[in-house]
Amino acid sequence: MGAVLYHGEPNGASLTVLAALAEAGAETGGEAALGITCRPIDLLAGERHRIPGLSERVALDMGIEGEGPVLVIDGEAMTESVFLAQYIDELAGGAGLQPADSHAHWEMMMWCRQITERLSPAAALLGNLASSQAEIAAIGAADFAGITASIPSDDLRQRWQALHDGTIDAAQVADSEAKVAQAVARCEGQLADGRDWLMGVYSIADIVTFSWLAGMELLRPEAFAAAPKTTAWLARVQARPAVAAALARATVSEPLRAWAPGPEINRWG
Amino acid sequence: MSGIALYHWEPNANSGKPMLALMEKGVSFDSHYIDMLQFDQHKPGYLAINPQGTIPAMTHSGAWGTRVLTESTAIMEYVNEEFAGPALMPADPRDRWRIRWWMKFMDQWLGPSFSMIGWNVFVGPMVRQRDPAELDAAIERIPLPERRVAWRKAISGQFGEAEMAESRRRVALGIGLLEQELGKRAYVGSDQYSLADINIFNSTYSLPLSQPDLAGKDRTPNIMRWLKRVYQREAVQKTWAMGRTDLAHRYSLIMEGID
Repeated sequence: MGAVLYHGEPNGASLTVLAALAEAGAETGGEAALGITCRPIDLLAGERHRIPGLSERVALDMGIEGEGPVLVIDGEAMTESVFLAQYIDELAGGAGLQPADSHAHWEMMMWCRQITERLSPAAALLGNLASSQAEIAAIGAADFAGITASIPSDDLRQRWQALHDGTIDAAQVADSEAKVAQAVARCEGQLADGRDWLMGVYSIADIVTFSWLAGMELLRPEAFAAAPKTTAWLARVQARPAVAAALARATVSEPLRAWAPGPEINRWG
Repeated sequence: MSGIALYHWEPNANSGKPMLALMEKGVSFDSHYIDMLQFDQHKPGYLAINPQGTIPAMTHSGAWGTRVLTESTAIMEYVNEEFAGPALMPADPRDRWRIRWWMKFMDQWLGPSFSMIGWNVFVGPMVRQRDPAELDAAIERIPLPERRVAWRKAISGQFGEAEMAESRRRVALGIGLLEQELGKRAYVGSDQYSLADINIFNSTYSLPLSQPDLAGKDRTPNIMRWLKRVYQREAVQKTWAMGRTDLAHRYSLIMEGID
């Protein structure tokens, strides 16, 4: 049996993997050549925790990215969007999404870690407050209890509960807004020399950063007011055929406003 | 000469990762011992190398000038890709994914809980004997605000009970997951010794001593078998010989005691 990519709306972690798959697929003559079938699921209905036929599920149950996409191969659940993008690139025999030079590769991995550790939790918190919180709060008590009971990770379950109960405080929001502003400043600095792409050549760093930042441009446009190079770069990424193809998989009119509980805020420096 | 200089503390946790990776690859390096308990990492000499004041850091000099590399796991990947020597990542893409997954799980979920406990019971008490004014000044020199908060908590013993309970929960759960993983494969994430083993070994070799209720030959036989196998590697012996405290020696006695 081939591999199945279970994914949410094309935003955040799901967008990263769908865009990487489309890029690699374009290099190898279509996604089918990679043996991966895409299957959309409703993350806010808890469907990610009810994927059938899993024999090895630790990465799904204990992944720290939150409600990200899940690639299932031979019963093994694979998670964490940056690593799935790397996997897809390497499965395709090197689809050009990772620099070959070891120093440039280090820079890309460092960049992606900074984004997933600092920007992703912040963007997910702000995005969920703006979009999914009302939907999660409206889930009936019995259904919500069913969803939370199906989530093995205590900390992910608590993030669902906090959205459901509306217990996210102003300090967390302010901290997240600061982290979004820092990510924008970081992009603006990186693009200051006039380069088109964050690492010089297009890479997973562009895909990951776009996936978490594009939705913030809609939600917090003021954070981008003094960042013309970043907004131009966002537009360049969005215009790439593979990113457009990933976004076209949406079942909602504005996928960049579709969020589900994400990674936790770093507990230790 | 390799052109590598490594700025590190004990062969332990984050500092131990690039030390052991370089040893495994057979890459010689200039060792610069940074005494974390003396706050060497926040002094001007080191901040000129790594302005964030975190350890370890590595410089690589060559025709391109001098590169400064930070973040221990990313440094290990660089070392593996840049230098000849035994491959520390398997060729199979799925194995590579699994190794990256485990390293992130350690670096961002389980490791911070180990750190919180370690700082609370070891680093904090060691450091808080000093003159409070001197400590205050040392903390003020820390560049990253999050690290300032962590050091203040460690020194004053102000980790909250809920924080510590959550860390203990994660450590217990994480040890259980690692035990299961090592029951499936010879090494972490694959059947080949890799960066994931280097990463996780450096944060778990103390478990039989620090968490005897959670890890030991009866409770976690797979972990113990794996710890011993990694400990017996020549590169580990050479790396541990670089320690300046008696930690490595104490742990070596534990390792020798594993069947």
